[in-house]
Amino acid sequence: MIIAKRKPFNEIEELVSGAKKILILGCGTCVAVCLAGGEKEVAVLASQLKMALALKDQDAKIDELTIERQCDREFIEEITQKVIVDDYDLILSSACGAGVQLVSDVFDHKVVLPALNTTFIGVAEGPGVWTERCRSCSDCVLAETGGICPVTICPKGLVNGPCGGTRHGKCEIDPEKDCAWTLIYNRLKKIDRLGRMEQTRPPKKYGADQFPARLVHEAYRRRYE
Amino acid sequence: MAKSFQEALASGKFLVTASIDAPKGTDLEDAARMIDRLKGVVDALGVSDNPYAAMHMSPWAVCRLALEKGVEPIMHVACRDRNRIALQSDLLAAASQGINNILCVSGDHVKFGDHGDAKPVHDIDSVHLLEVSKGLKEGKDMTGSALTGSAAFCLGAAANPEADPIEPQLIKVDKKIRAGASFLVTHPVFSIEKLKSFMGHVSRGGVKVLAGVRLLVPEKVAQYRDGRCPGLFVPEDILGQIEAADMAKCTEMAASMVKSIKSAGLCHGIHITASGHEAVILDILKTGGIEAGT
Repeated sequence: MIIAKRKPFNEIEELVSGAKKILILGCGTCVAVCLAGGEKEVAVLASQLKMALALKDQDAKIDELTIERQCDREFIEEITQKVIVDDYDLILSSACGAGVQLVSDVFDHKVVLPALNTTFIGVAEGPGVWTERCRSCSDCVLAETGGICPVTICPKGLVNGPCGGTRHGKCEIDPEKDCAWTLIYNRLKKIDRLGRMEQTRPPKKYGADQFPARLVHEAYRRRYE
Repeated sequence: MAKSFQEALASGKFLVTASIDAPKGTDLEDAARMIDRLKGVVDALGVSDNPYAAMHMSPWAVCRLALEKGVEPIMHVACRDRNRIALQSDLLAAASQGINNILCVSGDHVKFGDHGDAKPVHDIDSVHLLEVSKGLKEGKDMTGSALTGSAAFCLGAAANPEADPIEPQLIKVDKKIRAGASFLVTHPVFSIEKLKSFMGHVSRGGVKVLAGVRLLVPEKVAQYRDGRCPGLFVPEDILGQIEAADMAKCTEMAASMVKSIKSAGLCHGIHITASGHEAVILDILKTGGIEAGT
């Protein structure tokens, strides 16, 4: 899932400065799971903003609404059934960057601002801890690397083995982090596929990773062509 | 004209190499002085490529200066700062200037440098860079397109005999040799046993190995200890000695490593680095029993 982190409160306060009516729009999927932009986090942000503005004797109406997903027009369009969008000076979206943009596209006459910094695609390691696992590079190497992504886990994204900085199996840039290639070596050995590591992997095909990317499912191709 | 490094590699003699950093600025005077001092003593002089990811002058300018002064340069090329297009472009420029010895490295992470917010490129890795350079030697670029002329490269790679665990490192070294490395420059060596074990592995590939010797200095002990010098794994007992050492003692300790490596007869030469104190490289070599023409 997509992991995000709320922007520093001072930055958010600055972003919404001067607005009289603000809609804080939560997203109920990834960013709710990673405790950054779901219903509860929207409520906290709304309270914080109300208090901060009150302390400055500024009068602003702050409403909250959380929808299922902000990365899907179907859900965004439902917003108009619940609130009058034109009543607000701005929408503060607590979705990932994709969600913020789609809300901005749908309500392209409104100011739509981000409340979060989108950080990575990752997994939950435990309560409140997420780690990055995928760079969405469009050229997956996991079949060759024992299910551990060197493009993501190695800070240099090396695809043919470790740099010279591995010490006690840890990464040269952070002794708290495992060296991706030590993990890969151990995993491949464990599953008896070490031969995969001995083969030289060609340079990655970044041509497949041109952004902004667009993907049309085979079944829908005729509709969009 | 001095013997080419390629000829020196084939000669069977114990090879003496060192590396210096290109200036942080436009003034080449210090580099020129270093080149003059080391002329006739080293078989080749490496010039680092933005060492520790700290921005310096591009090494080709210093390599060109070395050539003009009759010293064989080894240009370090890091994959960290350029994509495959820029790397090939710079390699061709180097080849056109007669810079033929290329050390292909991944490059220290930008985190260690002075531009911490820079984007680490790593479009291709050091194995690919060797393959690409080999292609340029054969008169073709990475896509197979023909070039006008071809590069006369002698290709080298980095390796760390003290990496832990060593097995993944050795797998990568094998790839580097297969990709065209004819010499390896190791990270600084502190254990002859580890060097022996490393040599036992790579000697099958017929590659020449230059063991790294690093001048350690007391003001950087904290950095050596806490991992701010990537790939440099100094044993605690040596750190203890360095902490209390003056420059003469530091030089002597590096020289002692030179002697140990040479007398062990395990590898084909040495590679001295003395970051920030390049002026003592000559002293390390002299104290280590290496004089001009030996």
